[in-house]
Amino acid sequence: MCASVVGVIRVSGLSKRYGDVLAVHDLTFTVPPGRVTGFLGPNGAGKSTTLRMILGLNRPSSGTATINGRPFAHLRAGLRHVGALLDANDVHGGRSAAAHLSALARGNGLPRRRVHEVLAEVRLAGVAGRRLGGFSLGMRQRLGIATALLGDPPVLLFDEPVNGLDPEGVRWVRDLFRRLAAEGRAVLVSSHLMSEVEHTADRLVVIGRGELIAEESVAEFAARGSRAGVSVRTPAAAELAALLTRAGAAVTAEGVDALTVTGLSAPRVGELAHTHGIVLHGLATRTASLEQAFMELTADRADHRAGERR
Amino acid sequence: MSTATPIARPTTPPARFRDLLAAEWIKLWSLRSTRWLLGVGALALIGFAAYSSVNTYLDWPTYTPREQAAYHPVSEVLTGATAALLVIGAGSVGALTVVGEYATGLIRTTLTAVPARHRVVAAKVAVVAAVMLTLGAVVTAASFGASQAILSGRQIGVSLTDPGVLRVLAADALLAPVAALVGMGLGALLRHTAAAVVAVCGVLVVVPSFLKPTVHQWANDLYATLPLYVWRNCLSQTHPRDSPALPTVTGSWVVFALWPLVAALLTLIVVTRRDV
Ligand SMILES: Nc1ncnc2c1ncn2[C@@H]1O[C@H](COP(=O)(O)OP(=O)(O)OP(=O)(O)O)[C@@H](O)[C@H]1O
Ligand SMILES: [Mg+2]
Repeated sequence: MCASVVGVIRVSGLSKRYGDVLAVHDLTFTVPPGRVTGFLGPNGAGKSTTLRMILGLNRPSSGTATINGRPFAHLRAGLRHVGALLDANDVHGGRSAAAHLSALARGNGLPRRRVHEVLAEVRLAGVAGRRLGGFSLGMRQRLGIATALLGDPPVLLFDEPVNGLDPEGVRWVRDLFRRLAAEGRAVLVSSHLMSEVEHTADRLVVIGRGELIAEESVAEFAARGSRAGVSVRTPAAAELAALLTRAGAAVTAEGVDALTVTGLSAPRVGELAHTHGIVLHGLATRTASLEQAFMELTADRADHRAGERR
Repeated sequence: MSTATPIARPTTPPARFRDLLAAEWIKLWSLRSTRWLLGVGALALIGFAAYSSVNTYLDWPTYTPREQAAYHPVSEVLTGATAALLVIGAGSVGALTVVGEYATGLIRTTLTAVPARHRVVAAKVAVVAAVMLTLGAVVTAASFGASQAILSGRQIGVSLTDPGVLRVLAADALLAPVAALVGMGLGALLRHTAAAVVAVCGVLVVVPSFLKPTVHQWANDLYATLPLYVWRNCLSQTHPRDSPALPTVTGSWVVFALWPLVAALLTLIVVTRRDV
């Protein structure tokens, strides 16, 4: 007997107020199956709060979050529907890794062999009997990922999963997220650093001060950065600049022999230079770094003034 | 970019309530602190009962006839002091089952795994109550057996069928689960280890220990709502004195039933309502 499962998270008009602080404000987005969705925002943007509301741990002030059309809060076996790593320290330091996972597996009616399988998968099999109090942050992070995988769920949420992992571990989780998405699961990975998700995510949901800033593909997001354009190096910079401006491009000089051109593609710039007999020493399309686009978009919404009243 | 291929997985049988009971059982016993507290606590209580019985055995010839007449061997099972220890230990273990989740953040992991919070609370209450009742019964039976074996040398043993004996033993055995569930409620309310243990000691032990029957009936009625007070002044006596200043047997049983019930409800409400 087989069940086909496709997971999708829908967040709709979600808001959360903590006293005077509006942590999340009217947030609407979708996390589709088969993709890694990066969930980005500066510190205090409301990412963790949103994830806690999706999981029914925090009650929204208004709005809804559903997983496959249902609120998560009334499920009996949550691990089979959603795997989540919110905070790697959400464990009891007095229990062994095996005991911790065994209790979780048993409570969801999962077979005991799943505990050994996930421990092997995250490479903690050798320390299964050790108390979690003695685990390093990276080891706890792996245990959290093991917990998320326990129920073989169609939806996975990870809050800053890369914290504390070594370079080999970082590569490993990226591959894992890609594989989970390729298997048809909906994967949401939060981070406050673009560099952590840009190589993994297909889509981005970007928030700032609790509000949605962008929900789009990585390529679309990159195109928002003001540094996107074409770089040209030529000894006849002034001549080329005038020519390109007449052709409708916006041109900025970068020193004596370099220009940045927006509004025309690199091949078109090359063709124009050629037909006018201008020598080019270099021609390249420059995509804005995602980090740059992220910084620009969130700059006015970065909330470093913790607990600011609104 | 890949398109979504649905994951085909075998359907496992749905999670049953007894799976949750098993999960809470694993959680309780996988903590070294629980094993030590319960193991050492049980042995200590049985040891105290035996030690106290030996003292009675040795001192018996020096008792006046009035003292001998007033003495009842079932009182060796739990004395005022050992009952206080039992209540503190059981109450603390009960509190720690909840505080251990909140203080560490484990509660978020637990409730993500089982979002139906009332089921988690129900399983926890059931496991704590069952384990503590078993522990209370074992300690009571072993203490009773040991003290009987020692005191039989003086021909002052009692039989289980003697009036009041079974009731006293039942009350002794129930003290542990009552205290544990009250501890759980206080733990859920306070969510802080030290605060919960102090509250357990204060509410369940220290306050009732200072109270004596007074000439004010309203005070007596108030005191008669405290579990350890009714245990000491009524349920632990084979022949409780019949006085309006003292709790009645029925009233005492009601107190023993209501405290854990209210505490369990409080735990349920607090855990289901609060953000974690
Ligand atoms: N339990 C709480 N009580 C009061 N305020 C809270 C609580 N949790 C979060 N906040 C506030 O809500 C806002 C959003 O916090 P949140 O932790 O969701 O941000 P985040 O995007 O996860 O940040 P980070 O990148 O630092 O993890 C912050 O202003 C924070 O101070
Ligand atoms: Mg966060």
